[in-house]
Amino acid sequence: MSPAQSFDILIIGGGATGAGLVRDFARRGLRSLLVDKGDLGSGTSGRHHGLLHSGGRYVVKDALAARECIDENRIIRRIAPASVEDTGGYFVATPDDPDEYVDAFAAACHASGVPCEEVPVAELLRREPALNPAIRRAFRVPDGGLEPWGLIEATVADARARGAQIWPYQRAVAMELTAGGRIVSVDLADERSGSVTTVAPRFVVSAAGAWAGSVAALAGIKLSMAPGKGTMLIFNQRMTDAVINRCHRPADGDIMVPVHEVAILGTTEITVDDPDVYGIGRDEVAQLMVEGLKLFPDLARMRLLRAYAGVRPLYKDDQPAAAVKDGREISRAHLIIDHETRDGVGNLVSIVGGKITTHRLMAEQTVDAVCAKLGVAEPCTTAEEVLPGQGDAASYWLGHRLAEHEEDGGGDADLICECEMLTRASLDRFLDARWPCSLDDVRRGTRLGMGPCQGGFCTFRAVGIVAERSATGTLPAQPEGLSPEAVDQILLDFLDERFRGTRPIAWGRQLQELWITAGLYGGVLGLESLSAGSRPPTAEIAPAIAAERETVHAQG
Amino acid sequence: MPRADVVVIGAGLAGLTAAIALADAGARVELVARGHAATHWTPGGFDCAAPPSAPTSTVGIERLAAREGHPYGILAGDVQPGLAFVRSIVGEAGLMYRGELEDLLRPVPTAIGGTRRVGIVPAGQGSALDRWSADERLIVCGITGFKDFWPSLIAASLARPSVWSSASAGAGDGLAADADPDDDRPARVEAVSVGLPGQAGRRSINAMELGQAFDDAAWRREAFGRIARAVEASGHGPGRIAMPAVLGIADHAAAMADAAEILPLAMFEVPLVPPSLPGLRLYAALRGAFLRRGGRLSIGEPVIRMETDGRRVTVVVLSAAVRERRIGAGAVVLATGGIAGGGLIGLADGRLQEPVLNLPVEAPGVEDWLAEQAMCDDGHPLERAGVRTDAQLRPIDAAGDVVYDNVAVVGSLLAGQRAVAERCGDGVAIASGWRAAATLGSSSGAALRGSLQPTVAGSRI
Repeated sequence: MSPAQSFDILIIGGGATGAGLVRDFARRGLRSLLVDKGDLGSGTSGRHHGLLHSGGRYVVKDALAARECIDENRIIRRIAPASVEDTGGYFVATPDDPDEYVDAFAAACHASGVPCEEVPVAELLRREPALNPAIRRAFRVPDGGLEPWGLIEATVADARARGAQIWPYQRAVAMELTAGGRIVSVDLADERSGSVTTVAPRFVVSAAGAWAGSVAALAGIKLSMAPGKGTMLIFNQRMTDAVINRCHRPADGDIMVPVHEVAILGTTEITVDDPDVYGIGRDEVAQLMVEGLKLFPDLARMRLLRAYAGVRPLYKDDQPAAAVKDGREISRAHLIIDHETRDGVGNLVSIVGGKITTHRLMAEQTVDAVCAKLGVAEPCTTAEEVLPGQGDAASYWLGHRLAEHEEDGGGDADLICECEMLTRASLDRFLDARWPCSLDDVRRGTRLGMGPCQGGFCTFRAVGIVAERSATGTLPAQPEGLSPEAVDQILLDFLDERFRGTRPIAWGRQLQELWITAGLYGGVLGLESLSAGSRPPTAEIAPAIAAERETVHAQG
Repeated sequence: MPRADVVVIGAGLAGLTAAIALADAGARVELVARGHAATHWTPGGFDCAAPPSAPTSTVGIERLAAREGHPYGILAGDVQPGLAFVRSIVGEAGLMYRGELEDLLRPVPTAIGGTRRVGIVPAGQGSALDRWSADERLIVCGITGFKDFWPSLIAASLARPSVWSSASAGAGDGLAADADPDDDRPARVEAVSVGLPGQAGRRSINAMELGQAFDDAAWRREAFGRIARAVEASGHGPGRIAMPAVLGIADHAAAMADAAEILPLAMFEVPLVPPSLPGLRLYAALRGAFLRRGGRLSIGEPVIRMETDGRRVTVVVLSAAVRERRIGAGAVVLATGGIAGGGLIGLADGRLQEPVLNLPVEAPGVEDWLAEQAMCDDGHPLERAGVRTDAQLRPIDAAGDVVYDNVAVVGSLLAGQRAVAERCGDGVAIASGWRAAATLGSSSGAALRGSLQPTVAGSRI
């Protein structure tokens, strides 16, 4: 084993919070390393609802969370405009929503500083005709759409530019502690090759979210999380231009977010034992549909694309027992856990709870706490500067892809994924930057396979391009090329991944689509003859799918 | 109200087979369909039966017929005559096929570098069926700028013996004793990519565009010249060329003749993802045959309602451009397809619906619809869902009672088949289309125009 590499800070967990942390540490001059057991944004951050909260959801019950949301909402719009779609949002009162809550809502918004304006229902229905005409009242708030992967990429790009290291697919597997309770070194296992690297950080921050318990356990600490599974449904088209929230006490299936060219209805709240192992039942889907119908009477006729779930990083230890049974009662607020005072481990903190809208603030407060321990006095500067590649003040808009497509040649641009207007040039750029990677990583970066056909037509094209680049030695760091078995595995993994999300909603048009995909790959392309050979050793395959295999995957 | 002796609903292989055979028997036939069918995306051959380990289609049909509830239980005897009929029909248009039901099933390359076991393929795919000699190479020839055929992917994959041997699983079955899977494959597989005339710099050429280009004699002779030079530059010795199935639409036979003249080696087409040109050629040949026989064809007019009188369908009501269109029907052939074609609709509550006549559907419980993985050897249990019939293909209910006397159910809508795993979809379509026509048209055309009473006593299958 080579000598341990030393860093000031090791951050475990590459979601939005981890990305925010590594950026903040790097901006304060600390040598930082961010690791994740999978791809960046492949956990909870990549499976969120797509919503940039205005804070309206929390105003009645948790004014602090609401205030944090609106402050961070404004900051994210400023520093990451290309990851935000300024849809605006409404809180609407259906006949099912009690008056007491509705009456309290506007005042609570005012008290928390969340801009809120009541609009006539007739005006709402003119703007959003798909909504239930029986809606009684409506309030406009500054909700928006938030694209997680672009945000994370831009955030870590800022950190990289300041010398930080970002290592995806590195799972923390062991920690060595002194008798006095200081972490001396951390072993990181490469999920792709299995090789182990030892790093020696001065300080460790766990931003592992729902997985924080297993990271703490490496230091001998018991930290109980209550991973809260939230299931969401993706519909084939946007039903509204704006985010629509039910104006009631937060519950299941009460938010619809327009995201790119689809709409996402969520969520459920089910506490699960293991953040890696959960399924989505048809009963959950049915429950979401029942609630969604109260907002959109025609919902049952809309085409569903898939279901996905994320696990909220909810923290159990300090919660009353009743709250743990009902995940909705567990606070969404974040909490910095100092393991020096709590457990006697001097150089470890965990940041748990929270939500993607407030990820930057969570990072700021955590870095403040760590800097105080390390005697670093640099102030936080993450709220000011626009993130790299996020352009000027223009925020994301629905026509982006079309505009890029036209710039890239228009009619003769080689679209690899027609549903998402992904060109070969974009795919090649991603492969240049990120290889080795899985097609699921490609999906997070490019939206490959996220449209109606769910990979039916683009998977083998993407694999064809990978194989062509393999044959010509133009895959980065892979001059010897990939074996055909490795290529098969890339193909099969992505088909399986796309199938998993279709399975819980396989009826109507999407069942038909699934049948066509099965007919193409099984009937026309003879897929079974590929998998008949022995499956390849994991080390040869670029993507580390093994850990993800049991999981229901992310949106899109 | 216009009347037809038989209204055929659905323009796939099953519906067209039935429609043409009925027209041949003198019936006045109206074929209506909501849209095009699986012909437009399947490989264009006649897959009759290739369950794992069956050495020939004939043996495959026997084995499937022995499986409880498989359509071949009543249709096994109709595959041979139905197939002969369809081959003669498409032959009228010069569309020739190669292979017989008794021939050994052979592994032929696919567009992701796998193999499919097939018995009967369009002549343009025919040389893929030949045994590979010991020193023979395969040149996978792609077209620069065409994104649905990746020669490097295909060649690297086909270089593996496992891809060829897994597909000739019948080797252990006695009948295939003379085939030695160890060397019955190309000795080498190479990839070339050729830029075709007038397409320099193009990046997004599609199959239809290439097919139309190959219909132009002067253009294609120049194109084949370029391909010939690329093949010659790639090496020497015996071999075959695999090309994407884009070699002409209307003038495919002439294109293949030019290829045979100009290319230094035998060439075969590899079927692609949709649009499938071999399938389009098959559809065009069948459609032409039906129209020449006086059949009336309407694509794009979905059935919105059926009027019935007791156990008989009397009127088929279609949604035409701006009005309803009513056709009086002596009998109906229901060829609307399975789940992929929209002839069966999976509902959110876990039921399956047959949308035209609301026929009883046999299906597994919703918790058993799908396997755990996208692709698995046996397919998804839901594949076997469909409408159960008696021996005359009349729909029956769970008690075995006939639901409609003058309706015949054909093709993918029939319960009990697993078209992907068993590779029987074309055979079931042809045999059932043939059987439906034979049953409904067993009397003369004049008799057809009178009453289409069933002639054979039904029995539960």
